[in-house]
Amino acid sequence: MSEELSRLPPQVQERLLRFQQLQQTLQSVLTQKQQLELELTEVDQALDELKNLGEDAVIYKSIGSLLVKVGKAKITEDLKERRELLNMRISVLGRQEERLRSQLKDLQEKLQKDLRPVSP
Amino acid sequence: MFHTSSEEDFRRLSLEIKLLENTAQVLQSRINFVNAALADLRMARMSLEGLSKEKKGAELMVPIGGGSFIKVKLEDPNTVIAGVGAGVSVEKTLPEALNSIKTRIEELEKMNETLNQRLSQVIQRINEGRTKLQKIAEELSSK
Repeated sequence: MSEELSRLPPQVQERLLRFQQLQQTLQSVLTQKQQLELELTEVDQALDELKNLGEDAVIYKSIGSLLVKVGKAKITEDLKERRELLNMRISVLGRQEERLRSQLKDLQEKLQKDLRPVSP
Repeated sequence: MFHTSSEEDFRRLSLEIKLLENTAQVLQSRINFVNAALADLRMARMSLEGLSKEKKGAELMVPIGGGSFIKVKLEDPNTVIAGVGAGVSVEKTLPEALNSIKTRIEELEKMNETLNQRLSQVIQRINEGRTKLQKIAEELSSK
Protein backbone atom coordinates (compact mmCIF):
# COMPACT_ATOMS: atom_id res chain seq x y z
CA MET A 1 0.00 0.00 0.00
CA SER A 2 2.69 2.47 1.00
CA GLU A 3 4.60 1.64 -2.17
CA GLU A 4 1.51 2.44 -4.21
CA LEU A 5 1.11 5.64 -2.25
CA SER A 6 4.65 6.79 -2.92
CA ARG A 7 4.01 6.57 -6.64
CA LEU A 8 1.39 9.29 -6.39
CA PRO A 9 2.35 12.91 -6.98
CA PRO A 10 3.50 14.62 -3.76
CA GLN A 11 0.59 17.03 -3.83
CA VAL A 12 -1.91 14.17 -3.89
CA GLN A 13 -0.03 12.34 -1.15
CA GLU A 14 -0.26 15.44 0.97
CA ARG A 15 -3.98 15.70 0.33
CA LEU A 16 -4.50 12.07 1.27
CA LEU A 17 -2.61 12.60 4.49
CA ARG A 18 -4.64 15.70 5.28
CA PHE A 19 -7.83 13.75 4.54
CA GLN A 20 -6.85 11.04 7.01
CA GLN A 21 -5.94 13.60 9.65
CA LEU A 22 -9.30 15.34 9.25
CA GLN A 23 -11.07 12.01 9.52
CA GLN A 24 -9.28 11.31 12.78
CA THR A 25 -10.16 14.73 14.14
CA LEU A 26 -13.79 14.20 13.15
CA GLN A 27 -13.80 10.85 14.91
CA SER A 28 -12.48 12.36 18.12
CA VAL A 29 -15.00 15.22 17.95
CA LEU A 30 -17.79 12.68 17.49
CA THR A 31 -16.59 10.62 20.45
CA GLN A 32 -16.44 13.69 22.66
CA LYS A 33 -19.90 14.80 21.56
CA GLN A 34 -21.35 11.37 22.21
CA GLN A 35 -19.86 11.33 25.69
CA LEU A 36 -21.33 14.73 26.51
CA GLU A 37 -24.70 13.70 25.12
CA LEU A 38 -24.67 10.65 27.38
CA GLU A 39 -23.86 12.88 30.33
CA LEU A 40 -26.70 15.20 29.35
CA THR A 41 -29.20 12.32 29.27
CA GLU A 42 -28.03 11.31 32.71
CA VAL A 43 -28.46 14.84 34.08
CA ASP A 44 -31.93 15.04 32.52
CA GLN A 45 -32.90 11.73 34.09
CA ALA A 46 -31.62 12.82 37.49
CA LEU A 47 -33.56 16.10 37.22
CA ASP A 48 -36.68 14.16 36.28
CA GLU A 49 -36.24 11.92 39.30
CA LEU A 50 -35.73 14.95 41.58
CA LYS A 51 -38.89 16.61 40.27
CA ASN A 52 -40.98 13.75 41.61
CA LEU A 53 -39.59 14.11 45.14
CA GLY A 54 -41.07 16.10 48.01
CA GLU A 55 -39.23 19.16 49.30
CA ASP A 56 -38.13 17.27 52.42
CA ALA A 57 -36.56 14.38 50.49
CA VAL A 58 -33.12 13.27 51.65
CA ILE A 59 -30.69 13.69 48.79
CA TYR A 60 -26.95 13.10 48.57
CA LYS A 61 -24.41 14.28 46.10
CA SER A 62 -21.30 12.24 45.43
CA ILE A 63 -17.96 13.91 45.96
CA GLY A 64 -15.28 11.41 45.09
CA SER A 65 -16.31 8.29 46.96
CA LEU A 66 -18.21 10.22 49.62
CA LEU A 67 -21.91 11.02 49.67
CA VAL A 68 -22.75 14.43 51.07
CA LYS A 69 -26.24 15.53 52.02
CA VAL A 70 -27.70 18.37 49.93
CA GLY A 71 -31.00 20.20 49.73
CA LYS A 72 -33.32 19.59 46.80
CA ALA A 73 -33.29 23.22 45.61
CA LYS A 74 -29.48 23.40 45.65
CA ILE A 75 -28.88 20.18 43.77
CA THR A 76 -31.60 20.98 41.23
CA GLU A 77 -29.94 24.30 40.54
CA ASP A 78 -26.53 22.61 40.24
CA LEU A 79 -27.84 20.09 37.75
CA LYS A 80 -29.58 22.76 35.68
CA GLU A 81 -26.33 24.68 35.48
CA ARG A 82 -24.53 21.54 34.39
CA ARG A 83 -27.20 20.92 31.78
CA GLU A 84 -26.69 24.38 30.35
CA LEU A 85 -22.94 23.95 30.23
CA LEU A 86 -23.28 20.56 28.54
CA ASN A 87 -25.70 21.95 25.96
CA MET A 88 -23.28 24.73 25.16
CA ARG A 89 -20.33 22.39 24.75
CA ILE A 90 -22.39 20.01 22.61
CA SER A 91 -23.42 22.80 20.25
CA VAL A 92 -19.80 23.96 19.94
CA LEU A 93 -18.78 20.41 19.03
CA GLY A 94 -21.70 20.19 16.62
CA ARG A 95 -20.46 23.26 14.76
CA GLN A 96 -16.95 21.81 14.68
CA GLU A 97 -18.38 18.57 13.30
CA GLU A 98 -20.19 20.43 10.49
CA ARG A 99 -17.05 22.32 9.57
CA LEU A 100 -14.96 19.15 9.47
CA ARG A 101 -17.56 17.33 7.39
CA SER A 102 -17.61 20.06 4.76
CA GLN A 103 -13.80 20.19 4.67
CA LEU A 104 -13.71 16.42 4.21
CA LYS A 105 -16.26 16.61 1.42
CA ASP A 106 -14.23 19.25 -0.44
CA LEU A 107 -11.08 17.25 -0.05
CA GLN A 108 -12.76 14.05 -1.12
CA GLU A 109 -13.97 15.68 -4.34
CA LYS A 110 -10.49 16.96 -5.06
CA LEU A 111 -8.97 13.56 -4.35
CA GLN A 112 -11.46 11.84 -6.61
CA LYS A 113 -10.40 14.16 -9.42
CA ASP A 114 -6.73 13.57 -8.59
CA LEU A 115 -7.05 9.81 -8.60
CA ARG A 116 -9.35 9.41 -11.60
CA PRO A 117 -6.62 9.10 -14.23
CA VAL A 118 -4.89 6.38 -12.20
CA SER A 119 -7.74 3.89 -12.23
CA PRO A 120 -9.75 3.45 -15.44
CA MET B 1 -4.46 -1.88 -15.98
CA PHE B 2 -7.42 -4.22 -16.36
CA HIS B 3 -10.43 -4.51 -14.10
CA THR B 4 -13.17 -7.01 -14.73
CA SER B 5 -16.57 -6.58 -13.19
CA SER B 6 -15.93 -9.60 -10.91
CA GLU B 7 -12.84 -7.90 -9.58
CA GLU B 8 -14.91 -4.83 -8.92
CA ASP B 9 -17.56 -6.97 -7.17
CA PHE B 10 -14.87 -8.66 -5.12
CA ARG B 11 -13.51 -5.34 -3.91
CA ARG B 12 -16.95 -3.91 -3.15
CA LEU B 13 -18.03 -7.02 -1.26
CA SER B 14 -14.82 -7.16 0.78
CA LEU B 15 -15.38 -3.59 1.86
CA GLU B 16 -19.00 -4.30 2.74
CA ILE B 17 -17.99 -7.28 4.88
CA LYS B 18 -15.37 -5.19 6.62
CA LEU B 19 -17.97 -2.55 7.48
CA LEU B 20 -20.39 -5.21 8.70
CA GLU B 21 -17.68 -6.71 10.87
CA ASN B 22 -17.13 -3.30 12.42
CA THR B 23 -20.85 -3.00 13.13
CA ALA B 24 -20.84 -6.47 14.71
CA GLN B 25 -17.96 -5.43 16.94
CA VAL B 26 -19.75 -2.28 18.06
CA LEU B 27 -22.92 -4.27 18.79
CA GLN B 28 -20.97 -6.90 20.70
CA SER B 29 -19.29 -4.32 22.90
CA ARG B 30 -22.67 -2.73 23.64
CA ILE B 31 -24.08 -6.13 24.55
CA ASN B 32 -21.16 -6.69 26.92
CA PHE B 33 -21.80 -3.30 28.50
CA VAL B 34 -25.52 -4.03 28.99
CA ASN B 35 -24.73 -7.47 30.40
CA ALA B 36 -22.32 -6.00 32.94
CA ALA B 37 -24.97 -3.47 34.02
CA LEU B 38 -27.54 -6.26 34.27
CA ALA B 39 -25.27 -8.39 36.45
CA ASP B 40 -24.73 -5.40 38.74
CA LEU B 41 -28.45 -4.63 39.01
CA ARG B 42 -29.38 -8.27 39.59
CA MET B 43 -26.90 -8.36 42.44
CA ALA B 44 -28.51 -5.25 43.93
CA ARG B 45 -31.96 -6.79 43.51
CA MET B 46 -30.86 -9.96 45.26
CA SER B 47 -29.33 -7.97 48.14
CA LEU B 48 -32.45 -5.86 48.60
CA GLU B 49 -34.73 -8.89 48.45
CA GLY B 50 -32.61 -10.54 51.11
CA LEU B 51 -32.52 -7.38 53.19
CA SER B 52 -36.30 -7.01 53.10
CA LYS B 53 -36.53 -10.18 55.22
CA GLU B 54 -34.23 -8.80 57.92
CA LYS B 55 -35.19 -6.72 60.94
CA LYS B 56 -33.45 -3.86 62.74
CA GLY B 57 -30.41 -5.07 64.65
CA ALA B 58 -29.70 -8.01 62.34
CA GLU B 59 -26.01 -8.81 62.00
CA LEU B 60 -24.66 -8.36 58.50
CA MET B 61 -21.30 -8.63 56.80
CA VAL B 62 -20.61 -5.86 54.34
CA PRO B 63 -18.07 -6.48 51.59
CA ILE B 64 -15.31 -3.91 51.45
CA GLY B 65 -13.56 -5.46 48.44
CA GLY B 66 -10.63 -7.83 48.25
CA GLY B 67 -12.80 -10.66 49.52
CA SER B 68 -12.95 -8.98 52.95
CA PHE B 69 -15.97 -8.12 55.07
CA ILE B 70 -16.79 -6.05 58.11
CA LYS B 71 -19.50 -6.84 60.62
CA VAL B 72 -22.31 -4.33 60.93
CA LYS B 73 -25.68 -4.14 62.67
CA LEU B 74 -28.65 -3.22 60.52
CA GLU B 75 -29.85 0.15 61.73
CA ASP B 76 -32.64 1.00 59.31
CA PRO B 77 -33.84 -1.91 57.18
CA ASN B 78 -36.38 0.16 55.31
CA THR B 79 -34.14 2.89 53.89
CA VAL B 80 -31.98 2.55 50.82
CA ILE B 81 -29.83 5.23 49.24
CA ALA B 82 -30.15 4.77 45.52
CA GLY B 83 -28.17 6.49 42.79
CA VAL B 84 -30.25 8.28 40.17
CA GLY B 85 -27.32 9.18 37.93
CA ALA B 86 -25.21 12.33 37.49
CA GLY B 87 -23.66 11.79 40.91
CA VAL B 88 -26.96 12.24 42.74
CA SER B 89 -28.33 9.72 45.23
CA VAL B 90 -31.75 9.73 46.84
CA GLU B 91 -33.08 8.13 49.97
CA LYS B 92 -35.84 5.69 49.14
CA THR B 93 -37.88 3.11 51.01
CA LEU B 94 -36.80 -0.44 50.30
CA PRO B 95 -39.84 -1.30 48.13
CA GLU B 96 -39.36 1.89 46.10
CA ALA B 97 -35.71 1.12 45.50
CA LEU B 98 -36.50 -2.49 44.62
CA ASN B 99 -39.15 -1.36 42.15
CA SER B 100 -36.92 1.07 40.31
CA ILE B 101 -34.20 -1.57 40.09
CA LYS B 102 -36.69 -4.06 38.66
CA THR B 103 -37.83 -1.50 36.07
CA ARG B 104 -34.25 -0.85 35.03
CA ILE B 105 -33.57 -4.59 34.75
CA GLU B 106 -36.61 -4.97 32.49
CA GLU B 107 -35.49 -2.07 30.29
CA LEU B 108 -32.00 -3.47 29.95
CA GLU B 109 -33.29 -6.96 29.19
CA LYS B 110 -35.36 -5.52 26.35
CA MET B 111 -32.34 -3.60 25.07
CA ASN B 112 -30.26 -6.75 25.27
CA GLU B 113 -32.80 -8.66 23.20
CA THR B 114 -32.91 -5.98 20.50
CA LEU B 115 -29.11 -5.81 20.36
CA ASN B 116 -28.80 -9.57 20.11
CA GLN B 117 -31.33 -9.66 17.28
CA ARG B 118 -29.43 -6.99 15.40
CA LEU B 119 -26.15 -8.79 15.98
CA SER B 120 -27.44 -12.07 14.59
CA GLN B 121 -28.80 -10.25 11.52
CA VAL B 122 -25.41 -8.66 10.93
CA ILE B 123 -23.62 -11.99 11.41
CA GLN B 124 -25.97 -13.60 8.93
CA ARG B 125 -25.18 -10.91 6.37
CA ILE B 126 -21.46 -11.36 6.99
CA ASN B 127 -21.73 -15.09 6.36
CA GLU B 128 -23.76 -14.58 3.20
CA GLY B 129 -21.22 -12.07 1.99
CA ARG B 130 -18.34 -14.45 2.69
CA THR B 131 -19.99 -17.23 0.71
CA LYS B 132 -20.47 -14.88 -2.24
CA LEU B 133 -16.92 -13.63 -1.91
CA GLN B 134 -15.58 -17.16 -2.06
CA LYS B 135 -17.58 -17.85 -5.21
CA ILE B 136 -16.19 -14.74 -6.89
CA ALA B 137 -12.68 -15.68 -5.80
CA GLU B 138 -13.08 -19.11 -7.37
CA GLU B 139 -14.38 -17.57 -10.58
CA LEU B 140 -11.46 -15.17 -10.68
CA SER B 141 -8.85 -17.83 -10.06
CA SER B 142 -10.32 -20.14 -12.71
CA LYS B 143 -9.98 -17.41 -15.33
